[in-house]
Amino acid sequence: MYEFLGEYLFFFYLGIKYSLILALVPIALGFVVGLLAALGDIYGGKIASILINIYVEFFRGSPLVVQAILFYFTIPELLNIRIDRLVAVLIAFTLNTGAYQKGYLKGAIEAVYEDQMMAARSLGMSKLKAIRHVVLPQALRIVIPGWTNEYASMSMSTPAAIAVGGVPELTTMAHSVASQTFRSFETYTFAALIYFIWIYLSVKVLEIIYERVKIPGFEA
Amino acid sequence: MADVVMEARNVWMEYKDVKALRDVSLKVSEGEIKVLFGPSGSGKSTLLRCLAMLTKPTKGKVFLRGEELTSPNADIDKARAKIGFVFQNILLFHHLRALGNVTLGLRHVLGLPKEEAKERAMKALREVRMERWVDHYPAELSGGQQQRVGIARALAMEPDIILFDEPTSSLDPELKGEVIDTMKELAEKGRTMLIATHEMHFAREAADEMIFLDEGRIIEQGTPEHFFTNPSTDRAARFLARLIREG
Repeated sequence: MYEFLGEYLFFFYLGIKYSLILALVPIALGFVVGLLAALGDIYGGKIASILINIYVEFFRGSPLVVQAILFYFTIPELLNIRIDRLVAVLIAFTLNTGAYQKGYLKGAIEAVYEDQMMAARSLGMSKLKAIRHVVLPQALRIVIPGWTNEYASMSMSTPAAIAVGGVPELTTMAHSVASQTFRSFETYTFAALIYFIWIYLSVKVLEIIYERVKIPGFEA
Repeated sequence: MADVVMEARNVWMEYKDVKALRDVSLKVSEGEIKVLFGPSGSGKSTLLRCLAMLTKPTKGKVFLRGEELTSPNADIDKARAKIGFVFQNILLFHHLRALGNVTLGLRHVLGLPKEEAKERAMKALREVRMERWVDHYPAELSGGQQQRVGIARALAMEPDIILFDEPTSSLDPELKGEVIDTMKELAEKGRTMLIATHEMHFAREAADEMIFLDEGRIIEQGTPEHFFTNPSTDRAARFLARLIREG
């Protein structure tokens, strides 16, 4: 009963490609944003901390769909500019996952006790060197299990791009196939299977990585 | 008279309403071993941390080889590289093996090339008899072994002085011995050390001078001989009697 999908493989190929872009680019950039935000919150002083928390609370406290709309319609209109829909969605997704990743990263950095920092400073390391060689190597290992949740969650939130329309991600493409073939059950179950395999495999890979790099005595 | 390595001059440390150190002055000269002792909360840890500038004293001055570390334009990181610190709760870097713990400062503070750092780290690890454990993570070592790696980490930097903050007090009784033996060996080699400890046998054997601290003040100081035979203050006498009774 699924044979007809063979004719539409290109649709799914395109969908997978765009969904991967919508997930991986924001997750990677969001990691940088989240890490800087976490470090800024912990070490950057009061004002930095307040600004960072306003950013985080805004993106964690409003729906992803609304954020996508904001960056594609509302903000460009206010600034009187035009913005590519894909770029707008990528920005919204990056800032959203960055806010969540900041939470996980901050928790992990704080779990590496202040004591570790003191031990590093006692050797004559500057704060920056201590962060780089002692705090982060530990925090980035500890964070993996929590970070994996955010990875899966962001990946499955990519259909929020539908809110701005016209980004050919997987759910949009499935919708298009279903409306051309009137076979929505097969089409959507096939799409769901693709999401499942994608998330399942990458979570497994992350688990294997965690097993290999985790710090003895500090299992989560 | 040997050169003064480390000096505290009228050091005060005040937190909100606690005076942790009150006008403490002391000197440690080249090759000298001084032991700090006193009840918990007497300011031993605070004093050692002030000397290493891990906390900044509220008032007073700290010198390393005549250079004032409390001066606003002192290069504290550079000074800390010359001051070894052994912590009560050990504080090895959890993510690094014993060897990595010792090479970290050599590589990233002193900037030694990898091979040279490794050689020097191995030498320090041999000195504390931990050369067979270099590939173990801290969590895979006993407390005594961890603390010996902690000592090697400080030693490898070839510091001018090593400050010990109750290095055995977090260890089980049967593990204290190996750390004390390590410190005795360092003492015999003429290392300059300032040691906060309640191990009175060690103090009696190794210390050139003992300093009794209570409520943030130096109450009395003198040779082990003086303290163990004829302490001049009641407080020191009572505290020592208790330590010896319990030890």
